[in-house]
Amino acid sequence: MSRFNFRGHFFQLFFALLAGLGLGLVYSWFLSPVTYVDATPAILRSDFKDQYRVVIAASYASTQNLDRARVRLQLLGDVDPVGELSAQAQRMLAAGESFEKARPLAQLATDLNQGFASLPSPTPFTILTPQDVSAISATETQTEETVIIEETVTPFPTILFEQTPITPVVIETATPRATFTPIPGPGAPFALVGRDTVCAPGTQAGLLQFMLMDSRRKQVAGIEIIVTWSRGEDRFFTGFKPELGNGYADFIMEKDTVYSVRIAAGGAFVSDIVAPACTDPNGVSYPGGLLLTFQQP
Amino acid sequence: MAAAAVIGIALGLIYGWVIDPIEYTDVPPNILREDYRADYVLMVAEAYHEELDSEVAARRLAVLGSESPAVITASTIEYANRNAFPQDEVQVLQNLLTAMQTYQPQGNTGP
Repeated sequence: MSRFNFRGHFFQLFFALLAGLGLGLVYSWFLSPVTYVDATPAILRSDFKDQYRVVIAASYASTQNLDRARVRLQLLGDVDPVGELSAQAQRMLAAGESFEKARPLAQLATDLNQGFASLPSPTPFTILTPQDVSAISATETQTEETVIIEETVTPFPTILFEQTPITPVVIETATPRATFTPIPGPGAPFALVGRDTVCAPGTQAGLLQFMLMDSRRKQVAGIEIIVTWSRGEDRFFTGFKPELGNGYADFIMEKDTVYSVRIAAGGAFVSDIVAPACTDPNGVSYPGGLLLTFQQP
Repeated sequence: MAAAAVIGIALGLIYGWVIDPIEYTDVPPNILREDYRADYVLMVAEAYHEELDSEVAARRLAVLGSESPAVITASTIEYANRNAFPQDEVQVLQNLLTAMQTYQPQGNTGP
């Protein structure tokens, strides 16, 4: 009898403990959970992370401080920060946002990939007075109109993704100077210099790849490419996959569809592009890819 | 029995608050730690220095909470001064503050 009572008492205690534990957990997890007040950027919601990246890229466009931008991106805890930047830039373009908005992201991705800043160091910061700010605010509306006009006149994105080497000033002696040879600027038209069939089983079928280079064979980012076919048109830019090259871009061709390619900045027009037929080792035919290489003269 | 229940509750609270607390993964920026918050405002200020677009700067600051962009920037300047930020960084923050103090959201520009 007493043994039975002991056991019953033990179970009552056990269930009281269990019920208390349950109540404690409900209270600490649901009714009054730990409140976060010192969050890190790594646990931000994904849309805020996107915003954070935009601000990092915009800040970098101003300061050209690549190391700092890299550290700031690491705060977001992305496995592949460069890939995330490129992906976000592409998402922005796909959502219909202008290239001007996506460009800082693409440029930061490109610079992180190449390891140095593309643009020269910025001018030193100046002090703005309230009068300056009022003047700026007054002209902001006009600036938007100016941008539109500039874009109509010069649709070619003028940004250069190259680093200008700083060479020491050398005092010339009496050595005769070489004749000046004009070097084509960033606006020189691109010409098709290579058209290679890519037959590689396992790769994306019908992959149309582009590689754009300047006259020194350095890849150029930010060049708009227009692909047209009977049922539509697609526009995209080089440099949004920096892991494949700053001057790289690609497009997926459908089977039995004829495409035309034009470089938006008055470059070569290439017509009659179709996915080539390739054959694998077993004799099975599959749509291959094409690599078009353009270069400035 | 009441003692057992109290012990159970205490254990539950310790487990839920200390050992395995709720982990947040999708938080808004308004609960960022002060140093991250200050760095975010500094980035906005650096971008403003290049873009000179008050509207964009104010929109970027707005994600940090319901305070006005000028108040957010001012508190960041206080943080920057307390933590010995370089003078050029304080300067860009100061420029942003000046811009935010004179900024009028679109639609509120009338008298």
